[in-house]
Amino acid sequence: MKQELVSVLAGNAFAMGDAQGDMEAHPCAPIGLFSFDTRFLSRWILTVDGERLHSLSRDDLTYYETRYVLVPGAASHYVDADVSVIRHRSVGEAFHEQITVLNHSAEPADFIVRMEIGSDFADTAEIRHPAPRRPVATADSEQRELRIRYRRGRFTRETRVSSTAPVEVDQQGMTFRIRVDPNGAWHTELHVRMIIQGAGERDLRSDIEAHRQQVRRSMRDDLDRWLDQAPQLVAERQPLAAAYRQALTDLAALRYTPLAYAERVPVGGLPWAMTLYGRDALITCLETLPFTPELTPPTLRMLALAQGGQLDDYHDEEPGKILGELRYGEAAAFDEEPTALYYGAADTTPLFVVLLDEYERWSGDADLVRQLRHPARMALNWLTEYGDPYGDGYLRYQPRNTVNGLANQTWRNSPEAIVDRHGVEPPFPRATAELQGYAYDARIRGARLARECWDDPEYAERLEADAARLRERFNRDFWLPQRGYYALALTPDGEPVDALTSALGHLLWSGIVEPERADSLAAHLCGPDLFSGWGVRTYAEGQRPYNPVGAHLGAVWPSDNALVAAGLRRYGYDAEAARIAAGVLGVAETLGGSVPEVIAGYPRRVTKYPVQLPAAGRPQSWASGGLLMLVAVMLGLRPCGDNLLVDPAIPAGYGRIELLDVPGRWGRADSYGRERDSRRRLRAGTRDAA
Amino acid sequence: MSTSAAEHLARGAAGRHPELPETTSGTIRLDLREGGRTEHWYLSIDRQDVRVARSAEEADLVVHADREVFDRIAAGHLHLAAAVLRNDISAQGNLQLLMTLRRIFPGPPGARHPRDVAGSPHRPVAR
Repeated sequence: MKQELVSVLAGNAFAMGDAQGDMEAHPCAPIGLFSFDTRFLSRWILTVDGERLHSLSRDDLTYYETRYVLVPGAASHYVDADVSVIRHRSVGEAFHEQITVLNHSAEPADFIVRMEIGSDFADTAEIRHPAPRRPVATADSEQRELRIRYRRGRFTRETRVSSTAPVEVDQQGMTFRIRVDPNGAWHTELHVRMIIQGAGERDLRSDIEAHRQQVRRSMRDDLDRWLDQAPQLVAERQPLAAAYRQALTDLAALRYTPLAYAERVPVGGLPWAMTLYGRDALITCLETLPFTPELTPPTLRMLALAQGGQLDDYHDEEPGKILGELRYGEAAAFDEEPTALYYGAADTTPLFVVLLDEYERWSGDADLVRQLRHPARMALNWLTEYGDPYGDGYLRYQPRNTVNGLANQTWRNSPEAIVDRHGVEPPFPRATAELQGYAYDARIRGARLARECWDDPEYAERLEADAARLRERFNRDFWLPQRGYYALALTPDGEPVDALTSALGHLLWSGIVEPERADSLAAHLCGPDLFSGWGVRTYAEGQRPYNPVGAHLGAVWPSDNALVAAGLRRYGYDAEAARIAAGVLGVAETLGGSVPEVIAGYPRRVTKYPVQLPAAGRPQSWASGGLLMLVAVMLGLRPCGDNLLVDPAIPAGYGRIELLDVPGRWGRADSYGRERDSRRRLRAGTRDAA
Repeated sequence: MSTSAAEHLARGAAGRHPELPETTSGTIRLDLREGGRTEHWYLSIDRQDVRVARSAEEADLVVHADREVFDRIAAGHLHLAAAVLRNDISAQGNLQLLMTLRRIFPGPPGARHPRDVAGSPHRPVAR
C-alpha cells in the first residue's frame, strides 16, 4: 500500500479509497465503505472502455465530500485525452457518487463506463484477515439496482446500489453503454444504502433525495453552525488559525449517534476507532469545554446509560464501571469480540466524575449534575468496591477476559506499555500512577458535587478523607527519591515500576503531587530524555525499552501532551507548559491538516520534521481536541465562579492571540494574550530546561 | 438448572433495584414468542422500583423475541446488547430503556469479583 489514501467521513461512516476514488479491499487498511463497523463496499472500481482512470486533481470540499477529476489511462498519455471523468462523492447516512463523463471532442463518442461493485461485509475487527462470507447479489437492471445481502441467523447486512441513469446490472457491478454529444456531458448518480436490520430497528436506508438534502443542507448548515458557535481565534500566526479551524472541523466530522440513542457523541477517529471509546470521548470533552461544550452532556448521558450493571468476566464489566468501547459489527454481535459493550478500562470511571465536575464549573449546568447523581455515585463507589482489589486504597486493573480483552486498561493500552527501566513487566493487578491521580481527583471533585449539588456533606467528607489518604499513601509509595519522580506503577507487592514517563504530567493535572516535588517533575518533563522538541515522549529515552516508534514506549501523543501542559500550568510552570504547547502546535503547523494521533519520539533537532507512524490515526477526536486544549492552556483559561479567568503564557513566536466568545456560565467572554519577553523568572530548584 | 425468563420475571425482577438510575421511569413490554403464541410481560419502572405484571398493554418500549432468546438472557448466557445486534431481539419505542432492561436481567453465572481474581498480595500491605 504505497498510494495515498483518501477518505470522506461522517460520524462512524467513512469511505476510504485511493487517489482516483477507487476502493479495493486490502489487508493493511480499512479500505472501502464502512458504517457501524461493517464494510458495505469492498470493491468500487470505475473504468472507461476497460481502462482504469488517472487523477488530474482532487478537491476535498469538506470532510464528507470530495471531487476527483480523472482521465482514462496512465499518467504518460493523458495529456491528449478527449474524455474526462468527474467523481463527486459524499457520505452521510448513505454514500453517494455522481459520475460525469465529458466528451471534449467535436464528434459524438461512445463509451463503456463500468463500476465494479462488491461487498465482503467484513467487520472492522478483521480487516487483516476478512472471514470468507457468501453474500447474495441480486442484479435488477429494470430497477437499476444491485442488492448484496449477507445473513447469519437473523443478523442481516445489506448494500443496495442504485443508479439514476439506465444501466445493465450484473452481480459484479454496473455497466453503462453511453453516447456523449460533442463537447457534451453524461451523468449518473450512484446511491449506496447501507442497511442494518435489527439493532434497534435503525435502518440506514435513506433515499437519494433525502441524502441530497442531508448533505447539501443539513450537513453544510450543521458544520457552519458548529464553527459559528465555537469561539473565534484571531492569531497573528496564520498556521495556528488554520490548525484551529481544522481541529474544530475534525471534531464536527467525528460525531455520531449511537444506535438506540438520540444525540451525537465523539468517536475515537479514523480509521481504526470509528466508534465510541469511553476514554477518548471523555478526554475529548475535557479538552474542548471552552470551545465546544455541547459535546459533553450527550457523552456523559450516553456513558451513564451504558454504565456497568453486573459482574461479567468476558466484558470486564463491574457495577458502576464506565464503558471502554462499543461496537456494532458481526464480531460484537456474536460475542467473538467482547465489544458489544466492553468495559476493559480502569480510567474511564474516575474520568467520568472528573468531566462531570469540570463541565459544571464551566457551564454552571447543575441540573445535569443532579440528573447524573446516581451514575456518578455508582462510579465513585466502583473506585472502592471493584477498582481497589486489595483494599489498600489503590486503583488497580487486571483483565478477567484474558482471551481477547485488553491487558493494559489505561490509555497506555499497548500490551508492552507498562514496563520498568529494564523492560520487566509487573504482574497483575497493576496500579499505574496516573490512575491514582484520576481517582484522587475524582474524589475531590465528587466531594464538591456532593456538597454543592447533591446536598450530601457527609458523603463529601468521606470522599475527601479517602482522597487525602490516597494522596498521602501515593506520595509515600510511588515516590522514587533517588530519581526525583514518581514510579510508573506499583506491583502487587508494592514494589515500584521505576520507569520515567509522561505520566508525571497527568499527576500534575490531577493535583495529587505534593507541591515541593513539582519542580523536579517539571524538570524531567522538559528535560532531554522526555521532551523531544515536538512534545513529551510517553516513555523517556535512556531506558532499555525506549523506542521512538513504540506507541507507548517513546512516541509523542498530542492528547497526552495537552494534559501534561495543563498539569504544568496547574502547578505554575508556565514557561514549561508554553514550550510543550509550542512543540505540539509546531507538529500541527508543520504537517498541515489534522493533528495526528501520535508521532515518533525522535529528537526534533535530528529529524527536523515530525515523523508520522503508519498506524497513527488521523483525524482523531482527542488529538484534535488536544490542539484546542493547548490553545486554552496558553491563554490560561479557567472558570472562577461566574467569571472566566485569563492568565496567558504565550510561547515565543506566537505574538498576539485572541480567543473571542468563549462560552460558559458567564455567557460569552473574550480572552487575549500576547507573547512576553522570553526571559523568565527562575524558580528555586528549577533546572533551566531551555 | 438455570432460571427461565418467565421465572426470573415472576420472582426475581420485581422490587427495588438500587442499581438502577433514580431518574429512569418508563414501561417495557416483553413479548415472548413460542410457536404461534406470545406471552406478554409488562414492567413498570418508577425510579428504582420495578413492578411486573402480565399484560399486553402498550408500553414505552416493546421488545419481541423468541422465548428461548429471553431464557438465555435470563440465564446470563446471552448479552442483551449482542442479542439486539444479532437481531434476535427486536425493539420499538424508547430504545434507551433497553439499557435499563439489561440491568434487570442477571449477568453471566460464575462471573468473578476483581478481588477474587487478584487474590492477595504476596506481602501484607499497610492500610
